[in-house]
Amino acid sequence: METVLTFLFVTGIVWGGVTVFILKAIKFEKKKREEPQ
Amino acid sequence: MEQKEFFTSRWGLIISTLGIAIGTGNIWRFSRVVAQNGGGSFLIPWVIFLLIWSIPLIIAEFAIGKSTRLSPIGAIGKTAGKNFAWMGAFIAFVSTAIMFYYSIVTGWCIRYFVSAVSGDLFNASSHLIYWQEFSTSGFPVLYHLIAILIGGFVIYKGVVKGIEKANRFLVSSLLIILIILLLRAVTLPDAIEGIKYLFTPKLEFILDYKVWLNALTQNAWDTGAGWGLIMTYAIYMKKKEDIALNAALIGFGNNSVSLIAGITIFSTVFALSSNDAMIQISQSGPANTGLTFIYLPLLFTKMSDSILINTIFASLFFLALSFAALTSLFSMMELATRTIIDFGLSRRKSIIIVGVAGFTFGLPSALNMDFFINQDWVWGVGLILSGAFIAFAIIKYGVDKFRKDVINGFGSDIKIGKWYNLLITLLIPIQVVVLLSWWLISSTTWDPEWWNPFHTENLGTCLAQWLLVISLFVLLNKTFIKHLLKNGN
Repeated sequence: METVLTFLFVTGIVWGGVTVFILKAIKFEKKKREEPQ
Repeated sequence: MEQKEFFTSRWGLIISTLGIAIGTGNIWRFSRVVAQNGGGSFLIPWVIFLLIWSIPLIIAEFAIGKSTRLSPIGAIGKTAGKNFAWMGAFIAFVSTAIMFYYSIVTGWCIRYFVSAVSGDLFNASSHLIYWQEFSTSGFPVLYHLIAILIGGFVIYKGVVKGIEKANRFLVSSLLIILIILLLRAVTLPDAIEGIKYLFTPKLEFILDYKVWLNALTQNAWDTGAGWGLIMTYAIYMKKKEDIALNAALIGFGNNSVSLIAGITIFSTVFALSSNDAMIQISQSGPANTGLTFIYLPLLFTKMSDSILINTIFASLFFLALSFAALTSLFSMMELATRTIIDFGLSRRKSIIIVGVAGFTFGLPSALNMDFFINQDWVWGVGLILSGAFIAFAIIKYGVDKFRKDVINGFGSDIKIGKWYNLLITLLIPIQVVVLLSWWLISSTTWDPEWWNPFHTENLGTCLAQWLLVISLFVLLNKTFIKHLLKNGN
């Protein structure tokens, strides 16, 4: 049980973090491209 | 000096900066330290220190580099005040001193890749003897030269055609190779035992302060935070580029790669070892080489009955290691080159100076393992001081002003709150004091003559070399400022 919880905690923060920030970066890049220069 | 060359896009910047962060430490040091510190018990503080050490310092480096457009000497002088340019010189020197021996590590990786491809590695009767024969021969010098030449060529080509182009290829390939190796490793029989060990926490380890200090050390050495390298690449980010989001992406991205490498190595070792997996995976060897250069080649011979398949996976592993080392080496060479450029020399002249100095000053480490270990110890611990100097520069500037004007200034996609002030003014300094004290005090316990500056790994050699370098840079402080101002900075 504690192994699964640690796996979820560690990968959730690290891999979850990288996924969230990649998605945010894509969103902001798209927004910047759509904005008039 | 007006900045003319920039990374072409956010992705060019991110992939190049990831190249700094992802190094050999993600692959060999991480797995060894996890094994020595109780598997899952280590990963919990390791994640916490990513949030309270690495990411705040990566944000700081991006912000200082972007706002000053100068290499560490001028950047720290401009942020903290003219009297403190010597701190920037120390940061630049530490990373350059690491470059001198890191190119040797890069050379080892390239050599083992060549050995794996040629099948030479699998013909060795003993991998320990193979390593000993290689490391005491003239080959490390030859491969050190090859690493310096590759690095020099990339830096000479400039930011876009050199650094960005090389990193786009190398970092992408590295990630693909690591995922292929991960998929192979987790499908080996009994690989689950390795994964279980990696993620099972043990209470006695969580309560041990040394596990927490090792987790902080791993973050300090592995993410590239506080080295001045990210600060140097940030010179080339466009004004409209964001700081905080990119910094978070680098921190999480770097530790994601460590996790992938950790799962791969633990799965492989547990699947293919008889009953000595933990002893082998914890083995350090000279300069952390035991697991990577002695034990893993042996494991690759056991991966399957097919020599071709074993050769392919061993080659891919050492290719990934070579790519990881090269991308970090580029950033160290660029830091040294950019520092000279800031004093008025051309990129061409600067890279020739850096290449010649890199090869020459790397020679003692290539030829003598004790010298290598000494430099790794002195400047590895010196990085913690570099991190402290970066935090000091921001404190001197005014953390709240820095946060509002620079980090949350033009181009920022996400705004950083007041929590950042607390991290920089309180938590980073506490971590520096605790970590430095622990490493230096510990070093007195493993050497009775802890004061002797001529010993390989002790307090005396660290303090003597730091003091020598700091004294020299304090004396040169006025010269730094004069020349940097003269060049229109």
